Amino acid sequence: MPAKLPFRLMNWLWQMVPLLIFVVLWHLLSNSGLIDKAFLPEPREVFAALVDLLRGPQVVENLAITLFRSFTGLLLGAVAGVWIGLLMARSEVFRAYVTPIVGGTYSLPKSALIPLFILWFGIGSVTAICAVFLACLLPMIVNTYHGVNTTPKVLVWSAEAMGYSQRQMLTRIFLPHALPDIMTGLRIALGFSFVLAISSEMIASTNGIGKLIFMYGENGAYSYMFAAIACIVVAAFISDRIMLWLTHIWLIWHESAVSTETA
Amino acid sequence: MERTAPGAFGLHVRSVISVLVIVAAWEAAARLQLAPPLFLPPFSTVVLQLWDSTRDGTLPMDLAISLGRAFGGLFIATLIGVLAGIAMARNQLVNWLLDPFVALGFPSPKIAFLPVFIVWFGIYSLSKILLVAFACIFPIIIGTFSAARGINRSLIWSGYSMGASRLVMLSRIILPACCPRIFSAMRVALPVALITTFTAEMVAGGGGMGATLMYSQRFFESPVVFAYIVVMLAIGLLLDTAMVRIQRYIPATRT
Amino acid sequence: MTSKIEIQNVAKSYPTDSGSVLALAAANLSIKEGEFVSIVGPSGCGKSTLLYIVGGFLSADGDVLVDGRAITGPGTDRGIVFQEYALFPWLTVRQNIMFGLEQRSLSAQERKEITERLIGIIGLKGFEDRYPRELSGGMKQRVAIARTMACDPAILLLDEPFGALDSQTRELMQDELLRLWLDMRKTVLMVTHDVEEAVYLSNRICVMSARPGKIVEEFDIDLDRSIPREELMLSEPFNQLRNRVWLSVRQQAINAAEQHAG
Repeated sequence: MPAKLPFRLMNWLWQMVPLLIFVVLWHLLSNSGLIDKAFLPEPREVFAALVDLLRGPQVVENLAITLFRSFTGLLLGAVAGVWIGLLMARSEVFRAYVTPIVGGTYSLPKSALIPLFILWFGIGSVTAICAVFLACLLPMIVNTYHGVNTTPKVLVWSAEAMGYSQRQMLTRIFLPHALPDIMTGLRIALGFSFVLAISSEMIASTNGIGKLIFMYGENGAYSYMFAAIACIVVAAFISDRIMLWLTHIWLIWHESAVSTETA
Repeated sequence: MERTAPGAFGLHVRSVISVLVIVAAWEAAARLQLAPPLFLPPFSTVVLQLWDSTRDGTLPMDLAISLGRAFGGLFIATLIGVLAGIAMARNQLVNWLLDPFVALGFPSPKIAFLPVFIVWFGIYSLSKILLVAFACIFPIIIGTFSAARGINRSLIWSGYSMGASRLVMLSRIILPACCPRIFSAMRVALPVALITTFTAEMVAGGGGMGATLMYSQRFFESPVVFAYIVVMLAIGLLLDTAMVRIQRYIPATRT
Repeated sequence: MTSKIEIQNVAKSYPTDSGSVLALAAANLSIKEGEFVSIVGPSGCGKSTLLYIVGGFLSADGDVLVDGRAITGPGTDRGIVFQEYALFPWLTVRQNIMFGLEQRSLSAQERKEITERLIGIIGLKGFEDRYPRELSGGMKQRVAIARTMACDPAILLLDEPFGALDSQTRELMQDELLRLWLDMRKTVLMVTHDVEEAVYLSNRICVMSARPGKIVEEFDIDLDRSIPREELMLSEPFNQLRNRVWLSVRQQAINAAEQHAG
């Protein structure tokens, strides 16, 4: 039962107070002369830069490009990852030959492949989406596999006794049972998708918020740089919240129904 | 309806087969010119390049630099992160103060802050070590926090009733109890440390594996690109295996 | 009269690190249509294993014939109810019961009707759209039974169905099961560790020895089940039968303990 709205709002605002304290300390530090003002612009300047950015097309367009790359790679990686994880759990042959490959790529930092992708696909969205796809694949495979593998025998047997075929059980039993694990994997993959998209943009790209941040840094427009970083931080935070909310809705049946709090 | 699990030996054999198949396919595809040599140099060429880079010292030096940065950052992150996590778990004020930052920081792509660290700390090791620390601290705080929160209350109460001071509580009861989860968090943070180091080097240069990787790509030296990727893969595998081994031999790190 | 279920020389062994372990020695049992047979015995004797073999979930040596034909795996002719309820947690009560109906060739209208009727029979009207996690143990077991009934199997296999319930709920559920059985006269094979429950519900009890399990004794139970529970359970015939079965099981348990000690 949700607490009364004013109470929740008050609680939420109270939890934001440390951020205000942080801004105040920042302001004092900027103006104290301990640090060159060029390196640490005042909160006021960053805020002005933020407003300016949001009014123009810069941030919105570039952010849209980055989000497009992230979410496309995430979606492709999630779909592929779930199917691979599912097959690995249900087919011994498949598992036997795929496990070493999966295990091997686990240790490879996916951003190391970005230069390779640039070699193959040039700079731009294909490279970024490929990198995101590969990074998201792994947590989805691992989590789906775990979720499917831990399906209690009695559920499988009950379905068999009701006349369900192995193929039907894939989508009617194993996948639903794995859903909590899949959502956990999806949250992890979401984090990866942002990291890889921005890494790709910073390494070599002509657009995207990563490129924008880097460009402002190179050109010494530090307030704009901070403002742009703030934008992506907020975007990532909101995406994560939405993911938690979706998890809450889709797992309403789950015994330990996920609460909408961090981790 | 039951399944028999393949023995450990069987699994190893299959892994080796998979790897051999991939290597063979790679070599064949390259030799048959299915892709231009720029895009896919033969495996043998890559191996030769690996040997050359090792012999002339570039690879070992790059590796040392990168690993130094990664571990440096991880070390700092663990030190500060564990203390912060425990403090947040045991003290309401600290929790209130730090929680919004952890909540905001955890989902955000820390790599986006790279330009800030470069502006403040330059393009060489310091900026990268600090960025790695920044990236790794969040999973460690969260892992430590949930471990500290989850400590069996009877352990804590026993400590108090035996008259343990704050310091003793921390070092003899709380830390050991959190050890397994902290180690798990570190296992998660290690790949983050490596990725962040390599990416930062790829973006900003300043020496290390990532810098050389980008440099070779810019000059279309594909054997070096492939060789370095293989090394990164091997390092990742080695370090994770090492952590697993540690878990096996040091009971304190086992859950 | 040909039997409904014929268990012939069924044996089961499991491979372990130190060679194979015989869980079930040659079990032989004939069950006629409409009978309610309980298998009792000490823990670990393999009674659940036998049930799973009859259900077709485990492979075994020997034959299990249903209606004269050997079984090849699980089937809709043998419904199963587990101790852990085995409800699908992501489906509501109604959806769980419907799940059993989907593989039957019925129209959507018929499915709805059967579901509603079953929900009424188990007394859960008003809870149709609840998820299993919102239900008590007794309610969950009722849904599990209803779901199995939805498939209209000729044979009901029950694996300690009330083992996870408290004694009051257990008694209520036993009465419901008895009522259902008297009503529908399905062939029932039940595994239980509760001797009283076995005597109360079944018309034949098989006592299994300790591992490797073998059926060592059988009791025919011929009680008048039309009289109320209170009378029945305090009556002389009931208690005599209960004592005899209990002694038999106890003897097997003692043998099991001696085996381990020796």
